[in-house]
Amino acid sequence: MARFVQLHLLTSYPPANLNRDDLGRPKTATMGGANRLRISSQSLKRAWRTSESFQSALSGHLGTRTKEKGREIYQALLEQGVKEKQAMTWAQAMAGVFGKLKVLPKKQKEALKEASDAERRAALMTELEIEQLAHISPEEGQAINTLIASVAESGEAPTDEQLNLLRARHTAADIALFGRMLASSPAFNTEAAAQVAHAISVHKVTVEDDFFTAVDDLNDGQEDVGAGHMGETEFAAGLFYLYICIDREQLARNLSDNTALADRTLAALIEAAATVAPTGKQNSFASRARASYILCETGDQQPRSLSVAFLNPAAGMDLLPTAIDRLMQTRANMDKAYGACSDNAKTLNAVTGEGTLEDIIACATEAG
Amino acid sequence: MDDYLLFRLYGPLASWGDTAVGEYRPSYHHPSRSAVLGMLAAALGICRDEEERLLALDRDYRIAVRVERGGELLRDYHTVQSPPEAAIQGLWVKSRRDEIKALEAYWAKRGKPPQASPVSQRDYRTDAAYSIAVQAARPEAHRDLAPLAQALRRPGFPLYLGRKSCPPALPLDARVVQAHGLRDAFEHYPSCLAQLGVLLADSDYMAYHTGRMLAAQSTAYYWEEGFDCTGLEAQMIYPRRDRLRSRRRWQFDTRDEYHATTQEEQEGA
Repeated sequence: MARFVQLHLLTSYPPANLNRDDLGRPKTATMGGANRLRISSQSLKRAWRTSESFQSALSGHLGTRTKEKGREIYQALLEQGVKEKQAMTWAQAMAGVFGKLKVLPKKQKEALKEASDAERRAALMTELEIEQLAHISPEEGQAINTLIASVAESGEAPTDEQLNLLRARHTAADIALFGRMLASSPAFNTEAAAQVAHAISVHKVTVEDDFFTAVDDLNDGQEDVGAGHMGETEFAAGLFYLYICIDREQLARNLSDNTALADRTLAALIEAAATVAPTGKQNSFASRARASYILCETGDQQPRSLSVAFLNPAAGMDLLPTAIDRLMQTRANMDKAYGACSDNAKTLNAVTGEGTLEDIIACATEAG
Repeated sequence: MDDYLLFRLYGPLASWGDTAVGEYRPSYHHPSRSAVLGMLAAALGICRDEEERLLALDRDYRIAVRVERGGELLRDYHTVQSPPEAAIQGLWVKSRRDEIKALEAYWAKRGKPPQASPVSQRDYRTDAAYSIAVQAARPEAHRDLAPLAQALRRPGFPLYLGRKSCPPALPLDARVVQAHGLRDAFEHYPSCLAQLGVLLADSDYMAYHTGRMLAAQSTAYYWEEGFDCTGLEAQMIYPRRDRLRSRRRWQFDTRDEYHATTQEEQEGA
């Protein structure tokens, strides 16, 4: 197994302010003496890590999104002979692992005491619902079924340990790639397997100001013809170069050598990186984009980003093809100067139409 | 004639941690010895908790830095969304996504947007280029530098320039050279800028620009006690707290850093 997977992506965003600093301006950095647009590493990781796409991809897009899992579990428990009250409590415990459960307001609960049995049962069923849509993968569904059978047989409530296992893989994948999250215990510090560089625009950039006014609809202009509010929004458009390096051995270690999960995790990251953008100011700019070019390299050699291709800022009318050429040329030059810097490579080029995301993922997750 | 291990460090962003308390995380102007030795440890596959091996590394080698370009300061505004305890109580928070969702739900219930998260200012150096020289500090221990060079070529962990988000943009190109003194050793090793000139010269639109875009500032040398510094005369001595005392307790001792700036012409500049 090649140890390092390096991903180089070129993604073009129309005018946007995806990641801003304390003054509300798009983040920038100087490279090769010229000002470039920047999306910070932390912003990228957060966008990918919390995206729907990443979650879904972790289960190979085979999961279900539902709020009703609690009811399903309750029914299943009843069918397996568990008493109603216990089934309710246990179903809540299990469903609660996937999200916050709905809670009936106190007053409504009080009122239920007067209601009929049927009415009460129906109302209490709401307390089995998860507030937000939860994503449940086939494996998690399987784990739930196994646990249902186990508690039905033993007649004892599910333990915290058993409940913890229901989503263990989910936590594992998230932390294995990106390191611990804040809520986790410091005792479980994990070395993140993914290294994400700050994304930098391949060209020089000048941040632009959008002067806007908000008109007061109720102002009939009799006394004052001015705007209700005036302001400025900063934005810029950029073709970004992104670099990611994944240490497959670290990923395997983090996931206790579960190869299938490691491959799935890697695939989920690649998909997220190619399709998910940070959400800064998206309501104003709707700047969603996909990677136009992806180069995947695998090997054991010291990983290196190819940002030097853009040390001299790219310019001209055909920015994307120019950028792709530069990237390929620089890679070839480096191989010539230092010997092969990777053993295997695959590209996806949306301009020429060659390559697919599947190919990239296959290259990255290749065994042996 | 002594053996020196030489390699270069270049990336668009780099950060050499200086003493940091609280939310302001500054960067020093050039790599500290702890940063360089940390990188060597990563290359050798030494884990963070292997205290003995890390101390041995600190004891057995000395480092010097040639700053070809100090670069410019970049201050990054870095926020972290951390849910208050009350937001995650009683919930199974199993991933970062769960954390963020819990945070949003918590503030939504209170009818307010998510409150200001811990804010930090993290410094980086941009357009900085360095060459590093490593020498065995205890020749009687017979340290062979070749395995170090090999480790840098095929590292045990991914390398980075101070922060994980700062990957190197050039192969480190580690070489073991024999030289009479530190200055001589550096002379045997092409600078980053010279290398970039070679690397990018093939394309006609780059050759002309590289030199102009990355105009060299004067060359500065920083080294520690014990080097043969023929040809280098220390102009300043700075105290620097980067000598490892304990990795686990994150404690460092001070040492003297010698500095000299020269006006020499850099090739490719």
